[in-house]
Amino acid sequence: MKKNIIRLTFLVILTVASSCKKSLLDQSNPNTFTTNDFWITENDAQKGVNAIYHMFYQNGGFNRWIYFRLDLTSDEGFSKSPWIELGDWTRFQYVNYNFWEGNVNSFRDVYKAIFRCNQVLENVPKITFADEAKKNELLAQAKFLRAFYYYYAAILWENVPLVTTVQTPTDLPPQGTVDQVWAIVDGDLNDAINGLPEQYPDAEKGRATKGAAYALLAKALMQQHKWAETKTALDWLVTGAGRQYYDLVNFVDNFRADNENNKESVFEIQFSDANKTAEGDGPSSNMGSNRPQFFAPRSIGWSDGQARYWLVDEFKKEKTVSGGIDPRLRYSLFYPALEADFGDKIYGRSWEWGADEAWFKKYSRDYYRTNEDYFSQVNNRVIRYADVLLMYAECLNELGQTADAYQYVNRVRERSNMAPLATAYPAIGNNKDAFRNRLKEERVLELCGESVRWADLKRWGDLDTQAGVNAVAQRDPDFNNFVVGKSIRLPLPQTEVLNNPNLHQNPNY
Amino acid sequence: MKKNLRHAGGGSRSKQSPCPWGVFSRVNVRFLIYSLAFLLISLQASAQNISISGIVTGDDGLSVPGVNVTVKGTTTGITTDANGKYVLSAPGDATLVFSFIGYTNQEVQVNNRTTINIKMSSNTTTLNEVVVVGYGTQQKKDLTGAVSVVKTKDIQKRQATTIAEAMQGLASGIKVRGGGQPGSEAQIQVRGLKNFSNTNPLYVIDGMITTANRDFNPNDVESIQILKDASAAAIYGSRAANGVVIITTKKGRQGPMKVEFSGKSSFQTIPRYDLAETDEFARLNFMAYDNANVQHQDLDLNNNTDWQDVTYRTGNIQDYNMNFSGGSESGNYFVSAGYFGNKGTVISTDFDRLSLRVNTQGRKGIFTIGENLAISRAKTNEMSGNPIIDVIRLLPTIPVYDPANPGGYGYGNEAKARTFATNPVAIADLEDRINENTRIRGNLFAELQFLPWLKYRLNLGLDNSNDHYKYFRKEGNWTLNQAYDPAIANENRAESINGLVENTLTFNKTFGKHVINAVAGQSYQRINYAQIWGTKRNILFNPSIGQYYDVLDQGNEPQTGGFRWREDLISYFGRVEYSFNDKYLFNAVFRSDGSSKFGPNYKFGHFPSFSGAWRISKEDFFKVDWINDLKLRASYGTLGSNNINQYEYLAFINTFSTAAFGTGQTTQTGATQVQLANPDLRWETLQQQNYGFDATILDNKLTISAEYFISKTKDVLIAYPLLLSTGNDGGNPRVNGVSLNNRGFEISANYRNDSNPLKYGVGFNLTTLNNKVTDLGYNKNKTYVGNTVTEEGQPIGMWYVLQTDGLFQSQSDVDNYKNAEGKTIQPNAKPGDIRFKDNNGDGQITNDDKVVVGSPWADYEIGLNFNASYKGFEFSMDWFGSFGAKVFNGPRSVIERFDDNSNYPAGIQPWTPENPNTTTPRAYYGSTLNSRGDTDRWLENGSFARMKYIGLTYNLPTEWTKKIGFERAQITISGQNLITITKYTGLDPEFSNGSIFEKGYDFGAFPNLKTYSVGLNFGF
Repeated sequence: MKKNIIRLTFLVILTVASSCKKSLLDQSNPNTFTTNDFWITENDAQKGVNAIYHMFYQNGGFNRWIYFRLDLTSDEGFSKSPWIELGDWTRFQYVNYNFWEGNVNSFRDVYKAIFRCNQVLENVPKITFADEAKKNELLAQAKFLRAFYYYYAAILWENVPLVTTVQTPTDLPPQGTVDQVWAIVDGDLNDAINGLPEQYPDAEKGRATKGAAYALLAKALMQQHKWAETKTALDWLVTGAGRQYYDLVNFVDNFRADNENNKESVFEIQFSDANKTAEGDGPSSNMGSNRPQFFAPRSIGWSDGQARYWLVDEFKKEKTVSGGIDPRLRYSLFYPALEADFGDKIYGRSWEWGADEAWFKKYSRDYYRTNEDYFSQVNNRVIRYADVLLMYAECLNELGQTADAYQYVNRVRERSNMAPLATAYPAIGNNKDAFRNRLKEERVLELCGESVRWADLKRWGDLDTQAGVNAVAQRDPDFNNFVVGKSIRLPLPQTEVLNNPNLHQNPNY
Repeated sequence: MKKNLRHAGGGSRSKQSPCPWGVFSRVNVRFLIYSLAFLLISLQASAQNISISGIVTGDDGLSVPGVNVTVKGTTTGITTDANGKYVLSAPGDATLVFSFIGYTNQEVQVNNRTTINIKMSSNTTTLNEVVVVGYGTQQKKDLTGAVSVVKTKDIQKRQATTIAEAMQGLASGIKVRGGGQPGSEAQIQVRGLKNFSNTNPLYVIDGMITTANRDFNPNDVESIQILKDASAAAIYGSRAANGVVIITTKKGRQGPMKVEFSGKSSFQTIPRYDLAETDEFARLNFMAYDNANVQHQDLDLNNNTDWQDVTYRTGNIQDYNMNFSGGSESGNYFVSAGYFGNKGTVISTDFDRLSLRVNTQGRKGIFTIGENLAISRAKTNEMSGNPIIDVIRLLPTIPVYDPANPGGYGYGNEAKARTFATNPVAIADLEDRINENTRIRGNLFAELQFLPWLKYRLNLGLDNSNDHYKYFRKEGNWTLNQAYDPAIANENRAESINGLVENTLTFNKTFGKHVINAVAGQSYQRINYAQIWGTKRNILFNPSIGQYYDVLDQGNEPQTGGFRWREDLISYFGRVEYSFNDKYLFNAVFRSDGSSKFGPNYKFGHFPSFSGAWRISKEDFFKVDWINDLKLRASYGTLGSNNINQYEYLAFINTFSTAAFGTGQTTQTGATQVQLANPDLRWETLQQQNYGFDATILDNKLTISAEYFISKTKDVLIAYPLLLSTGNDGGNPRVNGVSLNNRGFEISANYRNDSNPLKYGVGFNLTTLNNKVTDLGYNKNKTYVGNTVTEEGQPIGMWYVLQTDGLFQSQSDVDNYKNAEGKTIQPNAKPGDIRFKDNNGDGQITNDDKVVVGSPWADYEIGLNFNASYKGFEFSMDWFGSFGAKVFNGPRSVIERFDDNSNYPAGIQPWTPENPNTTTPRAYYGSTLNSRGDTDRWLENGSFARMKYIGLTYNLPTEWTKKIGFERAQITISGQNLITITKYTGLDPEFSNGSIFEKGYDFGAFPNLKTYSVGLNFGF
């Protein structure tokens, strides 16, 4: 009996024990692919590229905070936010370099996007494609987008870590000088130009084109004052094979959800309100822009950023050929006399803000709503053809071909019913400096509130001398806090400097 | 017979030949060898069983019901009935052990007698307590490891939602923080911070590995033991690194049905700040604007809102429990039902719990079967926003209601009150978060007592929770310039099923002076979790009745999702306890765990431990009259932790990155890796040495236990802050990165004097802890998080900030504040501004001037418990104190900053030329330069002593209670957290912060509440 019981015991234990096979421990994630299961098909490559475009919808970039860095830090905008620290970061008062909204979020998202680019650039070459051109096109898009993010890194922080491979948790990348960063941008864009198509079918509009790559390359080269190379890059768009794709359209069609991806669009971020949820990497995350919610006037949006009033005066300096107010003002700014000048209310309201206040109107949705939210579907025309023409004019002027440059400025002015430049400002003639000074104003009138001004000021060297800064401070007193040699670039996030021994904080911080 | 058995063993093995042995681990084989060894050494013939009966009486000659009568070396036994009688069968040469809490154990040789009457003498020590140590029990006197026993009575007298919250100060080495909020779960730390993932210990309830969360009713608890050192906890090897809390629920005892009722009713108040009212606020606010040369805001001076008044209320708790228990020789039952209701101290927060428990057990011959089953339903109406911070940010000039705003509530206004603070009354109304779950938790077990010394047990455990979360947002705003949102409904439903199968074989045998207890077993646990969710917007509203139809059928723009995960754990374990003559005690434990959470090469972890004790007082040479018992202990062992998420060793593809393209802006899907992963994740291991002694002295009146431990955690699983340049998001991936050392000393002493009508006891426990990072991983030697730095050789999360050095009193102070080279350090400062120390002497204040200024860790923590009884009265009081920590007062940094609008502390004196004798710098609106948070300005001494509990109980005289048919009845009045002695100026120095690196940062944590209770207990 006892013997049997003992036998039974063993049986029971062994049966139960043997049912616990070690294979039970081999659990794979039932929710999604592992990285080993991915990067195998053409479709994987396509999805990998799409995921880079998704970074436009995240807070650190064109969904939200980059407008604070580009529009508000420049002399076009400023902040009266009750959130003092948020405002401080638009007026060169950088105290806590780890301030998420002002610095770390944008820095992180730049590298998050670069991580996505690097994944494509490392993995897609190993995938077999039926059509090799398709593969090259995808790789070229990834190169364009990596250059895009390094362009903004160079504009904002300048001396950033150089990351061109997929990182492991322990990597400590070296710090680049701004020239080394530009070298990545130039190299990637030259590669991209070769692989990108000139146009996409309607269903794929919004992807980087050859023209977009030429234009972005030109922007990068101009910042480095490489004028001859800039001209070469822009030739394709303005005088070369690409000119057939581009034109100027109705000014207002650049800032609304109607008539998106029109002929003026060179590179355009596609925003959509399909997912009215939070931004991020979750299911159905927001693909809209937060900009109007943050820039809309008080009691409509957060009103964390607004336009400097000198912009209104700037528009009113010169009349149209028919003696009217520059029509671009109507679609650029909300200002006290908007209703009187053009009969437009502001989000259905008459002016109820300060007599010396103005707000950015571009990309706002007041043309059909009385409020804003986080899900604006209005595309951001990051590079439009008017900008390209003005860049070309600037480039020709710098190369001493001032007379040649007039026609391109005139084309932009003409659209808004403004007289030819030589007629309106005969004193300029072929004086390079006078032409450049006029171009600075032309760019403001055409492009204010479109996030190009900070790069313009840097390129023109207006912030390199105290005298230059003083002049800018006449328009925007925030520049009284500007320290020459320091404030021209943001401080790197302090945790990044402390945790990466290869990284040094930017000068004078 | 020996031969036969060996043959039987071999036979069993060969029968298993179809089983693929290749997949078995070596551990499995080792387990077999264990089992075999136990069987081989235990071959002894046993005598014929005889029936034995008798009556147990106490010192006073009255019968004692409930005495455990067991056959020594077995688990056979019963308890005496209401008349102190027992009947059991045992071999004629057996030894019976009579044990009962509060009495000295007695062992009696049966010598073939059939009637054995016993007189037990009461004792005042707790040495004879039976302690549950995991897969078995030990007597407290035989312990070789560090085990704390928390008196259930002490837990149940307190009014707490969870067990953890009730344990503060009741045992050494245990640190508890949190609670207070309805349905909130306290954090508990056993012997310090040993890892970076989760500090909560492993909970084992009736053998089921689970958590004692808010849906577990503390009133069902029979006993709680905390296994603190490696040797004690090693039987739970993996997951035991944070200690193990073993909870046993109540069982029925032999005898007629007993009914017990307990009811407690409490009210609670939340501590408050003393804040400025409108007059004072306006004066200070105008001062800050004037100093900054900014035009005043148009404050609405007619309002004087006390935001704390409108947000806080007196909370209450109703806690009712009734249980029925009883049993016979062949079985017992325990049935309880409980209701716990907590109306929160913040408006629109509450928690309800209904619980039902049935524990039964039946016996026939060598077979025992039983179950412990609890069903609970819990519902929390959660807090929205953080009112603790909002009430101090809101200006008194803002009205609670403002019909001009969407939704009708007052909040910040650009012209009149520039603040983004949230109106807590508005958010309480407009946002609703309900979290509810139904949980079935319990186990079913069967035991076969093959031989008096050999028992097989099968334990099947289940913890099944069905969770439902519901979020509803009405249209309307609660803060300035808020984005428009329509009415939104979101719901998720989830289910978790945690199943456990365990087989154990227990061996207990005495050979003369040798006693061997051994257990060997195998365990398999699987947890499945799945969730689905859905959201819709523009939820249908019925204006005629002012009501939303908050179901997902209504509304539009649907979003849905769902996910699941599974985790498996396979374990083999064994323990051998050996004692010789009650003098020398040895204990060896081995556990091997395989977890699905780790990669193919790292699934198994092996955790051995050894301990020994020497009862020196039993030695002949030991002749110290005043020491009744003295035992020296030492242990060494290894524990593990797999406290990471499922599949974390795998890098995976996020498939949610959609992008819009084309003229129709069609959504295309994207996929990419978002979060980096470390494929080589493996078990975190903790090696711990423990040295201690237990002494009973002064005629058994004083017991002292002391422990010194050194623990080293290697390969700590840490979510290390990665460089931003990696592009990683979605949380920092864990890595086996860090090594930590913890050293600590714990002592607890209890004095009891029951010899007079006035009986009293005093308990004292002290814990010191010193943690040090010995290796930071990733080849780094420093990590910075917020205002803290963690460096090799130093404790985790030391305060690393700029040092303030008083205020500039005059312009010449400013001008003369120069470095060695004569450079003016703060040239832009004005009188009344903070002077910072230029620690690197470079003539400017930058991040490089930051230094380590203190530790967020307490030097020592003390618990003090006092109780006394006189006739029918019982009095008890518990104190808890923590000393030496430096903490950051986050809320104070909000109300004293002045650069941003918030309310201010009443009576604050910012520097003015007329009032220069102050430590508060001049008020200055609109610049963070004078109010930066990365300085030592808001670091405070976090020491405190707190009376956690005070209570007075009156036991109604039995002659009265008998008249109304009750056996006993008592009334208790008590209070919790009534007195706190501290210099900390925040709401509560006993706060908790979930961030490992910023443990000492009070970000506005929900404070402990003052609770006043009345309780009624009776039984019949």
